[in-house]
Amino acid sequence: MIQFLAKRLAWMVLTLWVVFTFSFFLMRAVPGGPFSEERKLDPDVKRNIERRYHLNEPLYQQYAEQLWSAMQLDLGPSMRMSDFTVNEIIAAGFPVSATLGILALSFALALGIITGIVAALYRQTTTDVGMMTAATIGIAVPNFWLASVCIVLFVFVLPIFPAAGWGSPWQLVLPVFCLGAPYAGYIARLTRTGMLDVLSQDYIRTARAKGLSPARVVVHHALKGAMLPVVSFLGPAAADILTGSLIVETIFFLPGLGRNFIQSATQRDYPVAMGLVLVYTVILYVLNTVVDMSYRFLDPRVKLQ
Amino acid sequence: MYRPGRTLFPYLALAAVGLALVWSTTFSTLPQADFTFINGTELKSIDPARVTGVPEGRIVGALLEGLYRPDPKTLQPLPGMAVQHDLSSDRKTYTFHLRSNALWSDGTRVTAEDFRWSWQRMLHPETGSEYASLLGECVVGADQYHRGAVKVGNRVEIELEDRPNPAEPFPTGTILRSKVLAIDKPPEPKIPKGTSEDDEDKIKDAWKAKWQYTVEIDGQRQKYCKQPPAGDAQIKKCRQVLLDFSEVGIKAPDPATFEVTLLNPTPYFIYLAQFFPLCPVQRACVEKYGYPNWTKAGNIVTNGAYRLEFRRFRDRIRMRKSSNYWDAEHVQINVADALAVESPATGLNMYLDNQVEWTEAPPSAVIPELENRIDYLAKPSLAIYFYRMNVTQKPLDNMLVRRALNLAVNKESLCKNLLRAGQQPALSFVPPGLPGYEPASAGEYNIDKAQDLLRQAGFPGGQGLDRIEILFNGDGGDHRDIAQKIGSDWEKNLGVRVGYKGIEWNSYLAAVRQLSYSVSRNGWTGDYPDPNTFLGLFVSNGEQNSTGWKNPRYDQLIADAAREVDAKKRLQMFHDAERILMDEMPVLPVYSYVSVNMVKPYVKGFYPNAQDLHPLRDLSIDAAERRKYFQAKGTP
Repeated sequence: MIQFLAKRLAWMVLTLWVVFTFSFFLMRAVPGGPFSEERKLDPDVKRNIERRYHLNEPLYQQYAEQLWSAMQLDLGPSMRMSDFTVNEIIAAGFPVSATLGILALSFALALGIITGIVAALYRQTTTDVGMMTAATIGIAVPNFWLASVCIVLFVFVLPIFPAAGWGSPWQLVLPVFCLGAPYAGYIARLTRTGMLDVLSQDYIRTARAKGLSPARVVVHHALKGAMLPVVSFLGPAAADILTGSLIVETIFFLPGLGRNFIQSATQRDYPVAMGLVLVYTVILYVLNTVVDMSYRFLDPRVKLQ
Repeated sequence: MYRPGRTLFPYLALAAVGLALVWSTTFSTLPQADFTFINGTELKSIDPARVTGVPEGRIVGALLEGLYRPDPKTLQPLPGMAVQHDLSSDRKTYTFHLRSNALWSDGTRVTAEDFRWSWQRMLHPETGSEYASLLGECVVGADQYHRGAVKVGNRVEIELEDRPNPAEPFPTGTILRSKVLAIDKPPEPKIPKGTSEDDEDKIKDAWKAKWQYTVEIDGQRQKYCKQPPAGDAQIKKCRQVLLDFSEVGIKAPDPATFEVTLLNPTPYFIYLAQFFPLCPVQRACVEKYGYPNWTKAGNIVTNGAYRLEFRRFRDRIRMRKSSNYWDAEHVQINVADALAVESPATGLNMYLDNQVEWTEAPPSAVIPELENRIDYLAKPSLAIYFYRMNVTQKPLDNMLVRRALNLAVNKESLCKNLLRAGQQPALSFVPPGLPGYEPASAGEYNIDKAQDLLRQAGFPGGQGLDRIEILFNGDGGDHRDIAQKIGSDWEKNLGVRVGYKGIEWNSYLAAVRQLSYSVSRNGWTGDYPDPNTFLGLFVSNGEQNSTGWKNPRYDQLIADAAREVDAKKRLQMFHDAERILMDEMPVLPVYSYVSVNMVKPYVKGFYPNAQDLHPLRDLSIDAAERRKYFQAKGTP
């Protein structure tokens, strides 16, 4: 176990370095820079600003300096929102995105698993078809459309929830629903498939033959096995959802990380873009490791190597 | 085999989710602000010397106050930190008299020295202010100081390489003052053909860093250089060699007197005195905390109507009325929140849901449904949407083709059917509405005349004409719709083949700058109510020209206008210059912008105006009307 984790850690460091290097050179290969503005700067002034951010130095030198400071977890100031450092920006946005993500994921899991189990137990009935249609729609409908419909219905037609903003639990309901809906759809389909697969296995028949109650068979014996595909889906899904969603954050005006992702790229805010890419890599890596570990607990046949 | 982990794991996972749920729902709910408004994007900074945008301007203008402040109705200067000014008989020296009761939020007095230091800081090359050219263009010596241009015989200030913190943008190292006796320059490097503008600047920059300045300090001749040659101990290293700031026409002879000497009589200078980038900052605060820490809520010292209470990144800025402000008794709103809402649709939703009192620029698709409401306030603004034409490329090198293209665009229909927010078709480059100025017209929509011009140019019915490509930033959205409308007019009326290319903002800027486009869309907002802010763009080699167009007579007229004392003659010169611009048509004006604001009817003191300026300190809320408004809506 410890050996497994140590190996994973070593790979993560290597991956981070590759991601850093790749992102560093890719970012600088695209035209424009953080100080391109419609109002053109005097060349001397521009050079002075560039000097402040070491952009005047040769690329390899910038690379070495930034790699060194990134290793010390200091990504420097943002080049566009220059009152803030990258660390401050991530510290401000991450809790918001994480809160939203955890709630959306809990909602998606609860709804998806229950729907999936019910659909599997009543397979080939109208309940099953109805639920799976709903799940497919949940996956297919784009976030912004769902959000717009929810705003029209629950803000203006029935004034239950506020239109946007961050601060009270009420303000979270609509964004959590819109963010979680497609994941709920996926999880429902995966659970149903997993359940159908497991329910036809011999050990389930044995459990039933021994006279266990249907509820005990499903929850205790079938569900664990049926969860494997869901769990492997959860790793990358959680990394995505925890690092924010551009569309939901923009429509509901939530100060999460998602908006930073896109804007730092379009505005060539190199340090912020780099910081976010690295944070995303770490989260994805950690969650995938957790998922791999959880297999061992869910399926006794899996050995960690 | 029994493994505790196997049974525990699901419960652990559930507990984690439960904890997260609890954690995520325990937010501190903020007390509601008295006035909340949508402020567009997150600010680049709140340092007045670093910002240019409208959202930044609103916050800087609430926290800091300049010499004057704009009247919310007329935009004419009202007393701010200065009570009044005297103008010398040659109209070149402004002497501002500062009020004696102006205080910083820490209780110290605002003095003329604060302004002198702040303006010097803004002009210092390391500050990198995008608006430094505003002062550079009109104040004696400001441009030389800003660019570090020094000649033999000039008095200079030499900053040594001994800053306590080299990353600080403002000089804190030892400064020596002296007169330049000689400048030794190494031979100028040859710039190979095909070098990009950027690389050319870099080569020149490296060359200038090797210049050796001979000065006399304490009776001793000494050479200073930014990059002294290795091994020569005689030449000392320095960080900056700048014109001595005492040579610049910005002076503070006593705490209550601030004196600015201009190169030319500049009638619009008085508007600059109320422009937010020229607001003062407190030297003690900036030097104590350094950038960016001095801008943090606990540290910043302000002199405006509001103090900064806190900033939440990409969320809100909370401001609270400052008790030290000289006119605090007339500031009505105690606590104001500025929200960094980027999506116009979200802004409108929050406005309609009564979460905010003021939002701007609702999405154009819903304007027909909003425009008859009493809280819909539209006003033509001092900004123009236009197409640049690259005159160095065929077929746009032909003036007749450019004019034909302009006459073949039905701007009226574009504004009425596509834009719909009350935008005005632009017949001139300078938007209408500047007092005393008669814009020069480029001619109205006229298909016959356009076809005739094209025939004269040698392309009857568009035959033999290369395909014209319209470049714009961002794919989809308004810019593409507008381009397609204009392109279809060209195809239909002139038989020109048109292509469309939407690219991402930075690539677009690079393309425009390097003249690798044929037609590109642009916008320009006037910084002050004077034709110079528009017509000054297109002088030959102007930083913003980007069309390849040059006309010596145009340059002469703009330069003459700057020196002209007689206001009427001056405006006539601008008119003549615009006549040339519209005849030769390197730019095709499309429409002049309209600013749209939606403001709750119980907010008082909000006036639509040409610069779309709405100082927070002049707004107020009518509590009785507010109550009535919400009773009518049936919500609290």
